[in-house]
Amino acid sequence: MKKQSKMQTGTHRKNRNVAIVGVGMTSLSSHKEDQNQPEMIHEAVRAALADANLTLDDVDCIVHGNMELFEMQFQPDMWHVLGSGAYGKDEYRITTGGTVGATMVCAADNLVASGLYDTVLAIGFEKLQEGNTTGGITNMADPLWFRNIQTGALTGTTAGMLIDEFGEERAKKAAMKYRILMDKHAMLNERAHRRFGLEYEQAEDLMKTSPQLVGELRLIHMCSQSDGACAMIFTHEEKARKISGKPVWVRDHITVHREETMSNLYAFEKPEMTHHYAARKLFERNGITDPVAYFDVFEMYDPSSWWGLDWLREFLMLKGDEHIRMLEDGEFDLDGRLPINPSGGVIASNPIGATAMLRPAFAALQIRGDAGGCQIRKPVNHALASGFGGTLWTVLIMLEKDLNWQEANHG
Amino acid sequence: MAEFFGTTVADIFNTMPTRFKPEEARDVDIIIGYECRGDGGGKWKVHIKNGTIQVEEVAGELTGCKMSVHAADAETFIGVTLGKIAAIEVLTSGKLRVVGDPRVLMMLLPKVFVQYTVPAKKSAVAAKDIIATIAERFRPDKAAGVAMKVGYDLTGAGGGQWTIVIQDGKCAVEEGLAKDLTVKMTMPADVYTGMMLGTISGETAFTSGQVKIDGDMMAAGATSRFFSKYVDPSAQAGEAEELITIKVTNAIDCRFATGPVMGMWFKGLKEKKFLANVCPKCGRTQVPPREICAFCRVRCNEWVELGPRGTITAADVVYFASPDPLTGAVRETPYAMTWVLLDNASAQEAFCLDIKKEDLGRMKVGDRVRPVWAEKRTGSFRDVLYFELDQETRGEKR
Repeated sequence: MKKQSKMQTGTHRKNRNVAIVGVGMTSLSSHKEDQNQPEMIHEAVRAALADANLTLDDVDCIVHGNMELFEMQFQPDMWHVLGSGAYGKDEYRITTGGTVGATMVCAADNLVASGLYDTVLAIGFEKLQEGNTTGGITNMADPLWFRNIQTGALTGTTAGMLIDEFGEERAKKAAMKYRILMDKHAMLNERAHRRFGLEYEQAEDLMKTSPQLVGELRLIHMCSQSDGACAMIFTHEEKARKISGKPVWVRDHITVHREETMSNLYAFEKPEMTHHYAARKLFERNGITDPVAYFDVFEMYDPSSWWGLDWLREFLMLKGDEHIRMLEDGEFDLDGRLPINPSGGVIASNPIGATAMLRPAFAALQIRGDAGGCQIRKPVNHALASGFGGTLWTVLIMLEKDLNWQEANHG
Repeated sequence: MAEFFGTTVADIFNTMPTRFKPEEARDVDIIIGYECRGDGGGKWKVHIKNGTIQVEEVAGELTGCKMSVHAADAETFIGVTLGKIAAIEVLTSGKLRVVGDPRVLMMLLPKVFVQYTVPAKKSAVAAKDIIATIAERFRPDKAAGVAMKVGYDLTGAGGGQWTIVIQDGKCAVEEGLAKDLTVKMTMPADVYTGMMLGTISGETAFTSGQVKIDGDMMAAGATSRFFSKYVDPSAQAGEAEELITIKVTNAIDCRFATGPVMGMWFKGLKEKKFLANVCPKCGRTQVPPREICAFCRVRCNEWVELGPRGTITAADVVYFASPDPLTGAVRETPYAMTWVLLDNASAQEAFCLDIKKEDLGRMKVGDRVRPVWAEKRTGSFRDVLYFELDQETRGEKR
């Protein structure tokens, strides 16, 4: 009891360092009718094992997750046991909505850091074509009040707020610039699902003609619906140094959920946004005062170009119109000051249960220099990745190339 | 005309009358315009009225259409029609545009038309192409100890005469008919190719007299097993494989306990009251009510009545038609998720409901609203039908 009373909120000191030693993903596409779910997962698992030069015998524990309401399959772990390789192994199933991929990375990090397991395989997947995404998300809403009125993850409120704050023309232009930038990045990423080849000259036309979904949220702004799986392998420092030439270190992560209901998001007086809260806490305890200067890449979970644009300000602790100016000045481009989503982000590829895992996965590939066509040309030493889901459930993950940072001050 | 996925845009429109299902379109009256730009494109007008259909190609402007579909090129239009290109992708990229209610495309058209499929092409394979592969398809293990000469006399276009010689585990093809044939088969060349491709049954062709066999009948029947099956090299490998998907619709009845705190809210609704509970520390009025204030971590035992009028803090007009999880039916659009700050509520807590259809186009943030209650209230969110604009109290609040 004495020991417990010393514990403070927010404490999760690492018992040992954890590295990402394997990354595997399937192609990301609109239909995968040539594979069922376990077959698709198996493809990602094999790729991750090959990448880590390990076999399933080296894996001590498996973490498996997706959005179960999307495919209405509530024991995917059982169906998938052969594809995941979990037969006879310790396994956890995690389902935290859109955040799940990132939550699995947090879980794997904790499982290895704690010493409970040496090597953990995390698998995120979704086959959105097999169910109804928007119907599924609506069905997840609070049954007592919100389910009668919610429309999946579609909302135009952020668009409305940005238009109010920055004027219609500038806000709409910025959202389209963000959208086309993401497409330009996706065009460089051979794994991305939607690669339209959009040009900045089309912005004017698309912002008028693209079908309206909700308010000023148009089809062109919204993320894709994809099929695909991602698998990552985590192990402790000693083993990582032995087996991997390019381990990527998980420096710290934070996972926050602090909305009791949607009510207090849309009144006149708004609470500190969870994205901002998570970033502030994470940067404070790691002594990072200027995230734009510190990080070399940010893989952000951006469900729409309006959200992506707005959230940059929250995550990067920017003020006023700094985020819009940085976008306008090309500072988020692949060769800019802080490249955002070289992968093309969620707008390009979105197999939801894998989506939030793809963020740290692509960030890790950037650190390793293995990102292919969308590799950032200057050295990538520090990466930030985010996950999102439900009512702003937020995860931030910090990845490092070198094990040389000051240990986080967890207060 | 430019062909994509094995067909043309004109084919799709020309087959519309034969694919039309009049019984499904009895109460329909709509003119749909189609514009397909680029090579192989054109403009068409489709008029569906009370179970009849009229399709006409249009030279000039598309006029008088209730809705129209615009494709950037023939490939996009054909690809979407055949389901080879996902409609959502080209709608997003702007290569396909719909003017008017897109639900017509998603719901009406699939109901009144049989899905268009590419008409089967006649095989381009000639008999001599198949004969030319006989030696490589020969399976010596199946023909051990066999010695025979099989003659083919293929008549008509693409025909010819060949002799297949099987001896000592070897097989050779010679032009013309040998004199000492074990068996001779005479048939039109297209029947032969049809049989080899599997589109014509050999038994039927023989029974119907299309195939004539002279000589050792047993030998004729045995030949097929000496060879592996002929595969049309131009046929797409993907189509040989059948990918089966299973369609399932889930409907589950649920019952949710509201608990005593949320229960107060629903009890209030029955009596046309919005009841919130108040945080004793920060004064926040919680809507819907919660047992504790998460900011201050204290219990909220005091209740206040809010509203019933209020002010719009945010509004989302939804055009996207999605399923309503409460009924399974597709929601009528547009509708709005309208956030209302009730009078006497603290500034942090708005709550969300429908707005009256007639007010959708004119409401804006800051407008005053009042609830319209259901006549029969049961203690559910359906007790408030929607909010409507309230001109009388405009300007009094905020």
